[in-house]
Amino acid sequence: MSENPYQTYDARILEVKDLTSREKLFTLRFVDSKIEDKFDFRPGQFVIVDIRGFGEFPISICSSPTRKGYFQLCIRKVGRMTKFIHRMKEGDVVGIRGPYGNGFPMEKMEGSNLILVAGGLGMAPLRSVLWYAIDTGKYENVWLLYGTKAYEDILFRDEIIHLLKHGEAMNCSVKLAYEVESPSCIYLEQGFSDKVCKGVVTDLFRGEEFDVNNTYALICGPPVMYKFVIRELLDRKLSPGRIYMTLERRMRCGVGKCGHCVVGTSVSMKYICQDGPVFTYWDALSTRGLI
Amino acid sequence: MRYIKLPSENFERFFKSLEAWGSVYAPVKRGGIYSFQKVHDPAEIALDYNRTMLPPKKFFFRPRDTVLRMKNGRWEENLEVEPMVLFGLHSCDIHGLKILDKVYLDEPADPYYRTRREKTVIVGISCMPDEYCFCKSLGTHFAMDGFDLFLHELPDGWLVRIGSVRGHEIAWENGELFEEVTDEDLANFKEFEEKRAKAFQKELPQEGLADMLDLAYNSPVWKKYAEICLACGNCNMVCPTCRCYEVCDRWVDAYSAVRERRYDSCFMENHGLVAGNYNFRPTRLDRFRHRYYCKSYFDPSSGYNCVGCGRCDEFCPAKIEHVKVLEEVRGSLR
Ligand SMILES: Cc1cc2nc3c(=O)[nH]c(=O)nc-3n(C[C@H](O)[C@H](O)[C@H](O)COP(=O)(O)OP(=O)(O)OC[C@H]3O[C@@H](n4cnc5c(N)ncnc54)[C@H](O)[C@@H]3O)c2cc1C
Ligand code: SF4
Ligand code: SF4
Ligand code: FES
Repeated sequence: MSENPYQTYDARILEVKDLTSREKLFTLRFVDSKIEDKFDFRPGQFVIVDIRGFGEFPISICSSPTRKGYFQLCIRKVGRMTKFIHRMKEGDVVGIRGPYGNGFPMEKMEGSNLILVAGGLGMAPLRSVLWYAIDTGKYENVWLLYGTKAYEDILFRDEIIHLLKHGEAMNCSVKLAYEVESPSCIYLEQGFSDKVCKGVVTDLFRGEEFDVNNTYALICGPPVMYKFVIRELLDRKLSPGRIYMTLERRMRCGVGKCGHCVVGTSVSMKYICQDGPVFTYWDALSTRGLI
Repeated sequence: MRYIKLPSENFERFFKSLEAWGSVYAPVKRGGIYSFQKVHDPAEIALDYNRTMLPPKKFFFRPRDTVLRMKNGRWEENLEVEPMVLFGLHSCDIHGLKILDKVYLDEPADPYYRTRREKTVIVGISCMPDEYCFCKSLGTHFAMDGFDLFLHELPDGWLVRIGSVRGHEIAWENGELFEEVTDEDLANFKEFEEKRAKAFQKELPQEGLADMLDLAYNSPVWKKYAEICLACGNCNMVCPTCRCYEVCDRWVDAYSAVRERRYDSCFMENHGLVAGNYNFRPTRLDRFRHRYYCKSYFDPSSGYNCVGCGRCDEFCPAKIEHVKVLEEVRGSLR
């Protein structure tokens, strides 16, 4: 087989599930079992999806590497390529290359508390961390603070509700903030009064205490979210080196060649595709333009 | 390094012998502009050229390149590569290739770039700076490696530095064309280099440059120049170290498609555009500044991303001068 890093491998869509009106969950497996066996990744990494003859686009893997035999992508329909894949069905084949990027340092964080802060589609890469942490049981406590627009926009709603009910048994506490009121949200809020509230994701920090020397925060969400969440964490004296975030930039190659994802200045330039997409807040302090 | 001498009267035979190693490309002058073209007759070469418009990167990282071809719904790589000899590269362009090597040969290596690079013989040639050159400030005015042979002008021929095993083989196979280097040749070589060092008119002071530029992020000088800049992207196209590309799939007929890449420029508005029309370099100011930061990025292992070739100045329709911009930005820090 060629060593061409731009070659993609056939992956069959095993299942397509509507998550919301805009996002679908694609479950995939490589057609060639040798490739499937070799495919391993860590939470926070991404793949490049290739619709041959039409183009490529980067998508985070949202399943956990602990669950073998398939991987999942949660894809929001925003433009030409994502519209294309939204029309695809079970049994269809796409090209995949990767995994790319550094991913979250899961080994380094073992034994610590994890605070996952997700906004909107940011839930996708953090779901990989969440299930990895639950499946391996190697982390002290896991908090998921999830901010969503409305009830209809909650990604992986069944899983979130399941964790609201039974999370503690798995050392995992979930809290949810919504912005648009609806009967379903009010119902949720009544059921889990200490876990669900109207507001933004930073409101979920209220009343939470954590040991700053034994905690890591992992953030993913829309660009505006980072500033507020980071301020909240710094106020609690969490070190900039313990705050991880995953960033999104325009990407073409995914392997540090095409130059699209480069940010920074004369003293520090980073390739989001290779040096990231996971960075610490310290990286952001020392590299202009990261957030 | 090994040194030999090529007397003037043997130049033609030497040049012709290079065709045994591949198609020979050398600088020629057409309509006032120099460019690397396929050459058979040494009389066509412009040996004393200042700079070509497109740097030699065009042979390895092509302006438009088909990387994959679709056959039966699968991509096949398009890796036909002809062996080449690039004759007459200046030191700055050899340094430019070394910077591209760092990007394209770094794991995972780009197979197109790598194969072309492996199949190409590089023959350097000495030059005299003109008003645009500032390679001396960046230490790229002399190539210590990155070539197979390097020809230094002497009054009666060329002092040849042999930089690789392949260069040695080329010299070996044409042994009868070369002579030993004499003391007189050495004196002439020294004199040429000294004269050349004095001929530079432009200088870019290095002291603390990278940090000072970073500190001057909000300098009004960026804004002043961003307003003059036409955002044409010429400076990117002609730069020997610029290598951003865009990818596009194109259908050739109903059954086959190709995946092509083309030169891209960070001056284009969509260079930083992501989903939902969010742009992380939304203004021309952001894009102008980005180019200067990218070129002035200092990598401890390979230096700056600029080799001082002067192309961006010569071919900028708005007459923006690279060194002047950096000097003014630095000067604005008072
Ligand atoms: C590391 C990473 C992880 C991502 N993970 C996810 C995910 O899990 N789920 C999800 O729905 N989306 C994710 N995205 C965003 C996704 O790549 C874009 O939504 C998608 O490329 C849009 O393509 P389009 O053709 O539908 O949109 P258009 O707006 O039509 O795109 C035009 C072109 O711009 C490029 N482009 C547009 N937006 C982006 C972008 N954000 N990043 C890179 N290139 C872009 C595309 O390649 C496309 O060819 C991720 C992006 C990155 C960089
Ligand atoms: S060549 Fe000159 S005008 Fe054109 S983008 Fe570059 S700096 Fe601007
Ligand atoms: S920035 Fe200008 S002077 Fe420097 S290498 Fe590029 S084209 Fe040459
Ligand atoms: S995506 Fe091409 S360099 Fe990062």
